[in-house]
Amino acid sequence: MFLHSSRTRSLAVAAIVATAALALTGCTSSGSSSSSSSADTLIAYTGQSGDYQINFNPYSPSSIGGIGTIFEGLFFITNVNSAPYTPLLGTDYTWSDDGTQLDVTLREGVTWSDGEAFTADDVVFTFNMLLDTPSINTGGFDGTVTAADDTHVTFTWTHPAFVDGPTVLGRSYIVPEHIWKDVDPTTDVMEKPVGTGAFALTNFKAQAFTLSANPTYWDGEPKVKAVRYLSLSGNTAGADALAAGTIDWQTGPVPDIKNVSKNYQGYDAITVPQNQMILATCSSAELGCTGPQTDPAVRQAIYYAMDRDQANSLAFEDTASEISPSFALTTSQSDLISSSLEEPIAPSSPDVATSDALLTGAGWAKGADGIYAKDGEKLSLTVEVVTGWTDYITALDTIKQQLKTAGIDITVAQSSWNEWTDKKGKGNYQLAIDSLGQGPASDPYYLYNNYFSTANTAAVGTSVSLNIGRFSDANVDAALTVLKATNPADTATRQAQFDIIQASIVENMPYIPIMTGGTTSEFHSAKFSGWPTLDDLYAFPAIWASPDNSQIFKTLVPTGK
Amino acid sequence: MNYFLRKLGFYAIALWAALTLNFMIPRLLPGNPVDILLAKLQQRGGIVTAETRRAYELLLGGNSDQPLIAQYWDYLVNVFHGDLGVSVTYFPAPVSEVIAASLPWTIMLVGIATILSTILGVGLGAIVGWKPGTWLDSLVPATTLLAAVPYFWLALILVYAFATTWRLFPGQGGYDVVLDPGWSWEFIGSAVKYGFLPALTIVIASIGGWLLGMRNMMVSTLSEDYILTAEAKGLRNGKILRSYAARNAMLPSIAGFAISLGFVVSGSIVTEQVFSYPGIGSKLLTAVTNNDYALMQGIFLYITLAVLGANLVVDILYGFIDPRTRAKS
Repeated sequence: MFLHSSRTRSLAVAAIVATAALALTGCTSSGSSSSSSSADTLIAYTGQSGDYQINFNPYSPSSIGGIGTIFEGLFFITNVNSAPYTPLLGTDYTWSDDGTQLDVTLREGVTWSDGEAFTADDVVFTFNMLLDTPSINTGGFDGTVTAADDTHVTFTWTHPAFVDGPTVLGRSYIVPEHIWKDVDPTTDVMEKPVGTGAFALTNFKAQAFTLSANPTYWDGEPKVKAVRYLSLSGNTAGADALAAGTIDWQTGPVPDIKNVSKNYQGYDAITVPQNQMILATCSSAELGCTGPQTDPAVRQAIYYAMDRDQANSLAFEDTASEISPSFALTTSQSDLISSSLEEPIAPSSPDVATSDALLTGAGWAKGADGIYAKDGEKLSLTVEVVTGWTDYITALDTIKQQLKTAGIDITVAQSSWNEWTDKKGKGNYQLAIDSLGQGPASDPYYLYNNYFSTANTAAVGTSVSLNIGRFSDANVDAALTVLKATNPADTATRQAQFDIIQASIVENMPYIPIMTGGTTSEFHSAKFSGWPTLDDLYAFPAIWASPDNSQIFKTLVPTGK
Repeated sequence: MNYFLRKLGFYAIALWAALTLNFMIPRLLPGNPVDILLAKLQQRGGIVTAETRRAYELLLGGNSDQPLIAQYWDYLVNVFHGDLGVSVTYFPAPVSEVIAASLPWTIMLVGIATILSTILGVGLGAIVGWKPGTWLDSLVPATTLLAAVPYFWLALILVYAFATTWRLFPGQGGYDVVLDPGWSWEFIGSAVKYGFLPALTIVIASIGGWLLGMRNMMVSTLSEDYILTAEAKGLRNGKILRSYAARNAMLPSIAGFAISLGFVVSGSIVTEQVFSYPGIGSKLLTAVTNNDYALMQGIFLYITLAVLGANLVVDILYGFIDPRTRAKS
């Protein structure tokens, strides 16, 4: 009897304790989430997984932030539109006719966030630091810089430097001489960064850091009072956080991309086509590439045999868009596509007749198994892709089926990122799915120079990071040299060179165009207004794209919700 | 004494072998840090030019022309000076700093979870083994089932139930990011709250092994003559369970426990990944994906030392506990 009643009592106590514990935890979790997000704080997720290691040095490869937000360039230059450069620390610039001299007028009355005045000496110091420290000179600045007075600086080169303009003006971040003259710019992590930007670092922890609005900013204190960067475990965690409403801006795919505003209350999405997806080919037999893809007819045939619409809907949720075989972006650079190209846009449906004609013309003949062969060698190729890149893998599986109908056999080989990078760089591959990146400004010159110039490639076995197609053409190299010496304002001369380059790369096709991949970002449109739209694309709306993101932070206005 | 000297000699050789493997294995990976850094920059919309590559090669010293044997010698000398080099991923932070920042998190989380699951598993195992053939036996298949469920799956289910649906515990991170890390009650409270789910997954997934081992040892110990003697003496059941049966049945579990303490340092990569926990496991994954040789070597070194150390302690303890292992064969 006694035993029984004692047990009942202890059970009841346990139940009460358990209920209390549940209530307590429920309470604290709701309390903490409301205190950590206020109406004018933007919570950003850059895809950072794991801890942040403090580093606000804009010239360090492992910098975690501060470019644009804390350290500003002379102008804001984006590669998503061709609008005139937005003045930041510089207000005006003029090129000399031969492109060897660039005069920049600086803004007056700007102060560093520690109160010191910003002068031309800081600009001169910054560029001299790059010259003296080759290991941080990632833009390859090779001119000289002098200050005429406190608000005028002059850059001079021994060669025409028009194409270096966007890097010098927009992607070189000015640092304060009075602090940086005493530090080692290669290894200092700038725990207390001092800049001229609209934001300043106020709090850093391994899992998050906060940039707060700079009340003395030259353009007035931004409306967004703080930007907090979070670390989560990856895309899935990002989508979860979006569903829970704990982040305001992230870049990356989420399930059911087309209905973001329906699935996530108060959120919107924007997809900007910028990544030109390609099948890179190790194209040059002279440089040591082996395999059927060294035959231009094979590359052309693959180009025609693809069903791009099908790949788009099966692999990319219809977020990809058309691509031009000239690799000028069809959105912002369509007027630069050569008028002599027969097909300015890659065909969206397969054209097996053309691919058959191309292969037969080059001496290939269909075997009994329906696959082409030449001199006993089957038209069978291996495509390299990174394990876990599910959209690319799906795309390749789709393309594999499509090419099979056209008599081309491809095998998809998955490997780790490291191995894939190594194979591409050294040229030990036949085909690899990848994308071509843009330059510092909206100008196809940079893409052509990076991926098609002889200077950026090497024989198979030597690692290269840009021209992995191992494409080399004297005409293209000559045209690039002319472009370097041509004022960007002289569109007629430039177009003539673009025509030469585009004719060659469409004919040789070292990179087989697939589609233009979209970069999708999801943002909290109910909490902030002023986000970029496809009609008003004032900056590239990806959270990790700096300095574009700082331009967006400055433009956003909290709605007060 | 000879026994201990022999053991120490063996461990010195094992340590050298482990250090050598630490040096060799990362270098067998394809790729080099500079290329991977550039590929990542490019993938994320960064502007990469030939100049960028040249600058980073200079900065990171990625392409070393030193012969391998010289690199190996430098590595050994540096390790004994405690200098583990500079991490490429977290440049310019030294490896020892990166490890020091993440190691406490892993030791607390995985350490406490290991201790809890051992105590619970061994305790339950003793009780289950004490009464074989009763309903308690169903605990064995139940817990081994949980141990057999793919680990990440269990973790995801817990996240779904406790973090996403009921919102009882946070699903990600090591602590509430609005707090400043330090020895304040608020911060410790938040660390405990954030650590609860990951710890729970580790406990649920590993308790089955302890329980099964202990229960089987109990069953065989119970058939020993000295148990019969104890019962014949008329000792209370509780006394027999604790002092006679469980005490002897526990010996293998103690050895297992010491070894698993050694593995605490290596963390639990899957747990830390699922819960974005700021521990050493996630650091190791980052190091491997970035070809960060120095960081990989540093973490491997810590793991090696911890496992070897735990083994050494078990060996020496066993020499004391069980004289039979000391005897010359």
